[in-house]
Amino acid sequence: MLEITGLVKVYPGPVAAIQGIDLDVPLGMFGLLGPNGAGKSTFMRVLAGLLEPTSGRVTLDGIDVLDRPHWLRERLGYLPQDFGFYAHLSGRDMLLHLLRLKGVSAPGGVGKLADELLERVNLSFAAKRSVKGYSGGMRQRLGIAQAIAGNPRLLIVDEPTAGLDPEERLRFYHLLAQLAEERIVLLSTHIVEDVAVLCPQFAVIRAGQLVARTTPRAARDAMAGRIFEGVVSPSELPALRESRQVTQELLVEGRHRVRVYEPEGDVPAGFEKVAPTLEDAYLVLMRNGALPGLRAPLNGGAGAGGVATAEVHA
Amino acid sequence: MSLARTFEVFRLEFMHSLKRPMFWVQLILLAFFVYMMSTGRAQMGSGDARVGGRKAWLTSEFAVTQTLIMLVSLIYVFFISVAAGMAIIRDDEQKVGELIHSTPLRPAEYVWGKYLAVLASFVGVLALQVGFSMICNHVLPHGGNAEYIGPFQIGNYLRPAFVFALPTVILFTGACFAIGGWSRLPVLVFVVPIAVLLLDSFFLWDWSPSWLPLWVNRVLQFIDPTGLRWVKETWLLVDRGVDFYNQQHVGLDALVVWQRLLITAIGLGSVVAFARKFETQLRGARVDDRTRAAALAGSPLANAPAERPAVLAPLASLGMKSSAPRFVTTMLEVMRAELYLLVRAPGLYLFVPLILIETLLNEYGVGAFDTPLLNTAGTLASGMMNTLTLLISMVILFYTTESLQRERSTGFGSIYYSTPLRTGAMLAGKALANTVLGLAIVLACFIGSLVLLAVQGKVPLDPVPFVIVWGLLLVPTFLVWTAFVSATFAATSNRYATYAVGLGVMILSGWFQMRDKMSWVFNWNLWGSTKWTDLATFEYDATPLALNRVMWLGMAVFLTVITVRWFERRERDATNALLRLRPGAMARSFASLTPFLILPLVSASVLGWQVQDGYQGAAAKKDRLDYWRKNVKTWSNAPLPSTNSVDLDVTFDPPKHAFTMRGSYVLENRTDKPMAQFPVTVNPRWKKLEWKTDGKPASTQARSGLVIVNPPLPLQPGGRVKLEFSFSGRQPDGISRNGGYEMEFITPSSIVLTGFGDVTFVPLVGFFPDGAVEEGKNNSDPREWPQGWWKERNHAMIPTALHPYDVHMRVDVPADLMVNATGERVSETVKGGRRVSEWRTDHPVRIFNLIAGRWSVKERDGVAVYYDSRHPYNVDEMLDALEGARRWYGEWFAPYPWKTLRLSEFAGWPTYAQAPAGNISFSEGIGFLTRSRDDGSAAFCIAGHEAAHMWWPNMAMVADGPGSAVLSEGMAHFSTLLLVDKVRGEQQRQGFAKQMETRYGRLRRPDSERPLTEIDGALPGDNRIWYDKGGWALWMLHRFMGEERSMAAIREYMAKFRDTEDPAALQDYLAIQRSHAADTTAFDAFAKQWFLTVTVPHYLIEDYRLVKDGKGWKVTGFVRNVGTGTMSFDVAAVSGERFPKAGKKSPAWREGRTRLELGTGQRRPIEIRTAFQPEKLMVDPDVTVLMLDRNKAEVRLAPEGASRLTAVR
Repeated sequence: MLEITGLVKVYPGPVAAIQGIDLDVPLGMFGLLGPNGAGKSTFMRVLAGLLEPTSGRVTLDGIDVLDRPHWLRERLGYLPQDFGFYAHLSGRDMLLHLLRLKGVSAPGGVGKLADELLERVNLSFAAKRSVKGYSGGMRQRLGIAQAIAGNPRLLIVDEPTAGLDPEERLRFYHLLAQLAEERIVLLSTHIVEDVAVLCPQFAVIRAGQLVARTTPRAARDAMAGRIFEGVVSPSELPALRESRQVTQELLVEGRHRVRVYEPEGDVPAGFEKVAPTLEDAYLVLMRNGALPGLRAPLNGGAGAGGVATAEVHA
Repeated sequence: MSLARTFEVFRLEFMHSLKRPMFWVQLILLAFFVYMMSTGRAQMGSGDARVGGRKAWLTSEFAVTQTLIMLVSLIYVFFISVAAGMAIIRDDEQKVGELIHSTPLRPAEYVWGKYLAVLASFVGVLALQVGFSMICNHVLPHGGNAEYIGPFQIGNYLRPAFVFALPTVILFTGACFAIGGWSRLPVLVFVVPIAVLLLDSFFLWDWSPSWLPLWVNRVLQFIDPTGLRWVKETWLLVDRGVDFYNQQHVGLDALVVWQRLLITAIGLGSVVAFARKFETQLRGARVDDRTRAAALAGSPLANAPAERPAVLAPLASLGMKSSAPRFVTTMLEVMRAELYLLVRAPGLYLFVPLILIETLLNEYGVGAFDTPLLNTAGTLASGMMNTLTLLISMVILFYTTESLQRERSTGFGSIYYSTPLRTGAMLAGKALANTVLGLAIVLACFIGSLVLLAVQGKVPLDPVPFVIVWGLLLVPTFLVWTAFVSATFAATSNRYATYAVGLGVMILSGWFQMRDKMSWVFNWNLWGSTKWTDLATFEYDATPLALNRVMWLGMAVFLTVITVRWFERRERDATNALLRLRPGAMARSFASLTPFLILPLVSASVLGWQVQDGYQGAAAKKDRLDYWRKNVKTWSNAPLPSTNSVDLDVTFDPPKHAFTMRGSYVLENRTDKPMAQFPVTVNPRWKKLEWKTDGKPASTQARSGLVIVNPPLPLQPGGRVKLEFSFSGRQPDGISRNGGYEMEFITPSSIVLTGFGDVTFVPLVGFFPDGAVEEGKNNSDPREWPQGWWKERNHAMIPTALHPYDVHMRVDVPADLMVNATGERVSETVKGGRRVSEWRTDHPVRIFNLIAGRWSVKERDGVAVYYDSRHPYNVDEMLDALEGARRWYGEWFAPYPWKTLRLSEFAGWPTYAQAPAGNISFSEGIGFLTRSRDDGSAAFCIAGHEAAHMWWPNMAMVADGPGSAVLSEGMAHFSTLLLVDKVRGEQQRQGFAKQMETRYGRLRRPDSERPLTEIDGALPGDNRIWYDKGGWALWMLHRFMGEERSMAAIREYMAKFRDTEDPAALQDYLAIQRSHAADTTAFDAFAKQWFLTVTVPHYLIEDYRLVKDGKGWKVTGFVRNVGTGTMSFDVAAVSGERFPKAGKKSPAWREGRTRLELGTGQRRPIEIRTAFQPEKLMVDPDVTVLMLDRNKAEVRLAPEGASRLTAVR
């Protein structure tokens, strides 16, 4: 169990990047969703021991990892949002170097393990090529390979699918799903689909505050009967935006297919009730700071918006 | 090109430059130096040191030129390398390149905008520095320093700035900018400063032996990018007098004008070349057609996976496990990765050869008489230590900083720092990898040294000294410096701040070294503090060396702990950082570090205490000043008893530098008045000092190092008293302040002590105020002697040496030491590990000494050389000199009166030779370790010089008065010239004479130079005038007189002053010579010119021309004497080799001559017709007239040569 209590990070300026987050992250995959600049990466860097928080407490299996960062590092797999490598090393050498630094071993030796990991991220063909010549996606895959190496108790992946093509993204989803069976995997992303696909639970962060901790199903359920879809002309769209909470817009054959959130049942003409998606819930949450039907904050003092929580449904 | 876009790049880069910490550190450093110089902490090496004498202004164009060149070359260059070199690299690291270059900005606009901004920032620094200099020099008040400040002339600042500083700044900025941009490797930008340091500071600026051909010198002047060699060689080596330097501009010749233009062009050309390269780089590397075709054919989908397995086994099947990685394993892994990067980067292959070149240049180091030194493994290892320390420290600074910065620059840090790699392992791994670089440099230098030794072919290859010097002394420096750089990086988390602090520390360390303000405690890099000797390795200063190394190793551990604690793997929180600065938190943090401070603090305390208590410490200084203050008014020139006999019984304990003495002097009053008391100088640190007079406890008074002895009864004229003394002492007594060596010492392997000069092992009868004078504290102008002073009865130059006396010594040393003491050995026993020998003079002497060592001996009839068995190389030449001296000096001057003439080697901490009667002492660096050349042998010359002292002044003591030293040192040099000519031939006589002439020309101070009859050693440059001008003048006088008359006069002089009560003055010698002269009028003119006034001819050949003349050739031209004096000399048009090398075929020597007499300022035409085509035109081809700058009195001739003026007048 990863427990975060009262985490605050203030940069000189001052800028409060994290404004008091309380969060328990259980075994398995856990998503952290939020828009750009919400404080996700700051939060992840604090958890990974790369950034000292202003205050707060973070424990992993009861151990305070802020006080004992090295204990955490021995149990951590980390894929940062933005990273590089020694450009002149080959991909395999780079990975081998990191495996050795992490103290990773395998029955066939680290050399064979490196090959296997490169195979898993589909980089075998470029294993001996200098990292300098890697594309962005290849570097991201090499980053994934080092992050999943070993047997980390906590795997933190920050925007892991950025730069991956759909096929690689799918492959990565499978890898993460495998890993999440035995460990805590904290996935930070602004892509709702990643959470929808992978995470049985997730939290939403906005402006440095946790605004929800729920499950995809609960989030969707909270929106049930409140999402309506219809088609409008371009000229009608501005007025609709003024009067309704538009969650999604899709341009099809010159007309807009629009989904609106209507909590009171005042359905626009020509709109029909549809099944809500997680993205509907996320966008409503971002706009309103809360979702209907979710319980009030469990732990107070979490900021102005409080934390919306839901029971986890299996 | 768009000026607007270029300016936008310029503006941004320029503003960034102003915000860099390095910019401000550089300004602060420069302001510090400028202020210190303006307050008189630096002076030009010219002018008159006397009170009221004309001083060289710090504000003259010459002074400003030198200052600017030095600051630009030694300080600017490092800051330039970072700022200019990193300008492009920084954008790469910040990944803004693609964004910037996707705008309409053109590559050339980008490159020039960046470069001009860097250049502008340093031109701005230069302008600020020059402005600050003007303010410090001309606005701020100058009290005692005012005489060094001339009137304000803005041109004195602007001309050097534009002619010398600016082109160099353009070169450095351009080259560093291009290197950084081209390579994109931060470490490589430091190639330029390292190269400048190596080539200029260690070679081009100073290496200028007298035998260097002019054309080689001019080439070296041309390749020195700073211009300082040109300034020195053209204007400064031969001092032109303070008025010249204060009033004149630095005149430029074609060479320097072209050179300044060329280096400006190279600087700007580097930027042009890089701009072109950058344009192609932006679009990717060009690939030739074949490569492109091969790539397309062979790999249509290069980035695609070849084949993908349908199903992969689950991750769990890999059986991955993580365990806490071991410290050593990860450290080695980090080291391996760092080495991988290191080996593949070009820095290794640039720095190592550069430093190796410097090593090889050591071969050309010169010693006494400009003779190439014979390197041994130890002297090489020790001699290269300063260079290696400086250069490898720089390399460590650059590589350590970049190594620690690498993860951040590459973006790898977030992954790297989140691994379980221990911070200590990471730092150690990186440090070890960088150490490998250091070791590679050391290894290259070691191999280079072995090659040098092999090429020399004389000295055996011995790795042990390298292990001792580099292993024990150098390695701790590297460790502490690495730890310091790492700690600085950890504390600042900023590479530029690290560079600024590191360079600042190095520069300030150098400043304190140069100002002689360093001590063993603070001398972290041992710069200039150690000196190797094959005879007694580090026996002199083993204690301070060991304490210093222990202290700094302890400091390295402390700094390493700090680094590990402070290294920012986890970015610190600013709010918490403030909390950590609370007193309680600080105290806890400090307390946790305390254990690591114990070792360095204790070592530093012990060392500091020892320095203070040492012979250069505050207490010793006070002792000397007290001695002077207490007694100078009372006991200067007090009548002294003469020594009748000396009896000494001395027992040495060399490991403790200690001895116990029991001895006596029989003293006689040879004055015409009773003597109630007399002074005896002692060492205030001697223990158990007891006195007896005539066997009874003596009545004495202690006066701060001076003991006043009251004989039982006033000593009547002709009366005698036996003064007995006993005490124990040490020599040296304590440690030095920063590696200075005493002239006399006792160490386990080598002892050298004298009974004159300093008070080291015997008391000296008399008061010696000169030995207690400290420059700037109690020094005074030289005494002005009355006309005809020499006609009165004179004191002896060495007060205790007026009368010869007998010496008996009993010397007790460890059995492994041999002893050579004044006199002949009359007995020797070896028992119980002790060697006791007894020495008695067979003929009276005036001074005595004692030398001990572990020697081999080589003897010939009546002469012997006692040498370390590892130094046999020049022993035969020394024996030749001793043998020749006994024979020829004996024949020419007077028979040699002592039974043997011995020469013994001692450990070469100090470098000198001394010649008490029959027992010459030579430090190993003089003569024993020199290489002879066809035109000179230092071993022969120094041995010949010291042997001549047996006559001058051991037999004919000279007076205590101006000019007298010419009769000692000048006569010894003159005698050597005669001996060299007789035994070694004309070529070596000319070579030796030229060396003397060059030294005189370079070291004289024309503003304070006095005639030979007035010179007393009190002013800078006097020393060389005694030796070199004195020797030359006496030799020219000998030639003027003719050999027969001259020798007759010398023999008469010897006979008259050998046992006189009235020692000789130079005027006495001249009077006797005059009495033998054929033409006394001509003699008077000659003597007035060379002995009674300051005269130095300086000849230039002007408007010379070589034309065909029928079947032969005609050389015409003019010779001008821009110096002083009237002399006759030959002018020769010559070809071929006058002294062909043995075994080599050379063109035959042919010459055509004409004779010329030139007075002061005169210019006369010459015409020489020859049957052959001459190659050179030379003034005084036989080296018979002492002149300044002989190189300029020789020109190469070309047929149909157009009229040419000499380059510089």
